[in-house]
Amino acid sequence: MAKRVMVVDDSRMIFLQMKNMLEGTDYEAAAYCRDGEEAVAQYAQVAPDLVTMDIIMPGMDGLEAAQAILEEHPEAKIIMVSSLAYDDTFEEAKAIGAKGFIDKPFKKERLLEVLREVSEEV
Amino acid sequence: MDTAMTQEELKEMLDGIVREVTEQTAGVTLFPGGELRGERLYTVYITFNRGFHTSLTLCSDEALLIRMARNALELKEPTSQELEDFCKEYFNILCGKIAAVLFRNTRIPARFSVPRLYEGRYMPEDHCTQFILTYADEYRDGVQLIHHVPRNREEGTLS
Repeated sequence: MAKRVMVVDDSRMIFLQMKNMLEGTDYEAAAYCRDGEEAVAQYAQVAPDLVTMDIIMPGMDGLEAAQAILEEHPEAKIIMVSSLAYDDTFEEAKAIGAKGFIDKPFKKERLLEVLREVSEEV
Repeated sequence: MDTAMTQEELKEMLDGIVREVTEQTAGVTLFPGGELRGERLYTVYITFNRGFHTSLTLCSDEALLIRMARNALELKEPTSQELEDFCKEYFNILCGKIAAVLFRNTRIPARFSVPRLYEGRYMPEDHCTQFILTYADEYRDGVQLIHHVPRNREEGTLS
């Protein structure tokens, strides 16, 4: 059974892009949230295997949303997906408990590589 | 931007990033120079915060943005919503790359606001234009990346 990914990004384009990339793989883009608040509110109900989380979003940003989800659900496997790819952001994401980081723009191979790494992590 | 970079270094950095990101995300090669046709324009806008207090806008001919969105989204005719989504995401990626390079140069972790899209030209309030980088694609549709600084820093330096 495919692992369910919750995509959190204010751009629906990213959700559709991921959905296409994940077709026919061991993962499916099962849910979409447009901002951090929605992700926090939906997490328990969706119960995804993995979350991909944008950082720059209206309202609650991705780092705040990841932190809020992890406080309630420490087992959550969250991967940050952002073009803010530099040490300070990596460290902040890691400190919060994010399991991976994908730099935008990304290719299918990179997306699958990180999803695999994180989902296989014990 | 209030960086340790000179204006020339900043221009060079922005020039490299805008061309690379446009090629990478939308498969469009931008050539320096040219001008906006100006018949129908859109502007995407962000403000840097956390260490930087300047703004960037990208003002483009609609035809060029549509061409970029078509390539990026693999759609024949993007809807206006799809075009808006594309413009914001494209600028988000562009500004993320800029923030990453700024961090490498200054160790200041810049962040920026959610991109906004306006029809026509947009000039951020209380800011003035510091410099403009102008490009055209192979069909001679134009785009400008414009760096704005707060009005009270108009005469200031970048150091």
